[in-house]
Amino acid sequence: MFIVNDLIALLAANLILNQALGTSTLFIAANNRRNLTWTAVAITLFTTVGSFAAFFVAAFLPESVRDLTLLIYTLIISIIYALILSAMFFFSRNLFDRIKKYVHISAFNCAVMGTLFTITDRARADASFMHLGDFVLSGLEAGIGFVLTSLILTAAYRKLNSAKVPSSFRGFPAMLIYLGIISMAVYALK
Amino acid sequence: MRKKNLILEGLWNDNTVLSAFMVISPVIICGDTLRNALALIYAFSAITFVSVLISSFVPQRLPYAAKIMIYAVISSIVFIPAKLAAQEFFPGVVERIGIYFPLLAVNSLIVFQTEARFFRMKKSRMMISLISYILGFDAVMLITAFIRELFAYGTINSRMVDMDTLISGLGLPFGGFIFLGLFSGIFRKLRSATERNKDKEDA
Repeated sequence: MFIVNDLIALLAANLILNQALGTSTLFIAANNRRNLTWTAVAITLFTTVGSFAAFFVAAFLPESVRDLTLLIYTLIISIIYALILSAMFFFSRNLFDRIKKYVHISAFNCAVMGTLFTITDRARADASFMHLGDFVLSGLEAGIGFVLTSLILTAAYRKLNSAKVPSSFRGFPAMLIYLGIISMAVYALK
Repeated sequence: MRKKNLILEGLWNDNTVLSAFMVISPVIICGDTLRNALALIYAFSAITFVSVLISSFVPQRLPYAAKIMIYAVISSIVFIPAKLAAQEFFPGVVERIGIYFPLLAVNSLIVFQTEARFFRMKKSRMMISLISYILGFDAVMLITAFIRELFAYGTINSRMVDMDTLISGLGLPFGGFIFLGLFSGIFRKLRSATERNKDKEDA
């Protein structure tokens, strides 16, 4: 029962279904299982580590220079991006060549940046949320939410791309309508 | 590619939103009123045009990852004056759009398409193509916002109109997903019909 409740909570707070964040990246990821796995891992890594750093931005950035938030987040993600690529390169050249493209598409997108902004906005609106643990947990949740939505999309991917769907709607248009229906169901759950 | 084709590329043949499926989230979430749409059009057009233009001077021999980071940093810097100007020209709208305003600065047209498309062209052709892609987004945003505002709230640019039936769900995120999916399908149908006609005329 707890798992069901947690799943519903994850869906209800899902960034893709509620805020459409990372929809384009999701479409690329849902293309095949390998894409999905590596993109989901990379995005979860970026949202979790990024949220850790975002806590310090939210806590210590003065109000007068708040317009610099995006620039600071971009620099944070750039550092994480460079560190992940360097670590992969030194760990295994083979692994680096195989998965670097997933790291590229996972770094700068609405899913990651949107997570950092959403968490920061929530903490600014509710001071009780201004804890490092809450930030990291929210980042992790956002990553898991991405995985969950990717799985929902992957389940229907073949059918939405099949010849049974009219050619004009085959692929992305059908996937958008499908996500809309899932989003409607999630809206009803809230 | 001929200049005419270049102009049509981002608008019709490979529309930024409806064909390439880039910058979808602001259209789905904020494209429910014309006021939001106009503010987003301004922000997207200004940030993307200036960022890609400045980014085109980044040395191409740098590693791909380094270039991507530089492009993202450039657009994040361009975002600052764009936001200040938006607060001046569209008071209140920036707050309503919320996080989608800064997210426009890390859109895939700036970060990824620059490398894959724009920087492989000569500067003059790149400018035409870039403007075409920006206009492609602007047109979709305007049409989406007009229809969704009319049918969801019964208004056009916040002015009441006589509407018998309202579909309030169109103003919500799920309405945005479904509308954009339908719009994209109809767009594809129209595009393939015009291509067929053109082929017939050529034959």
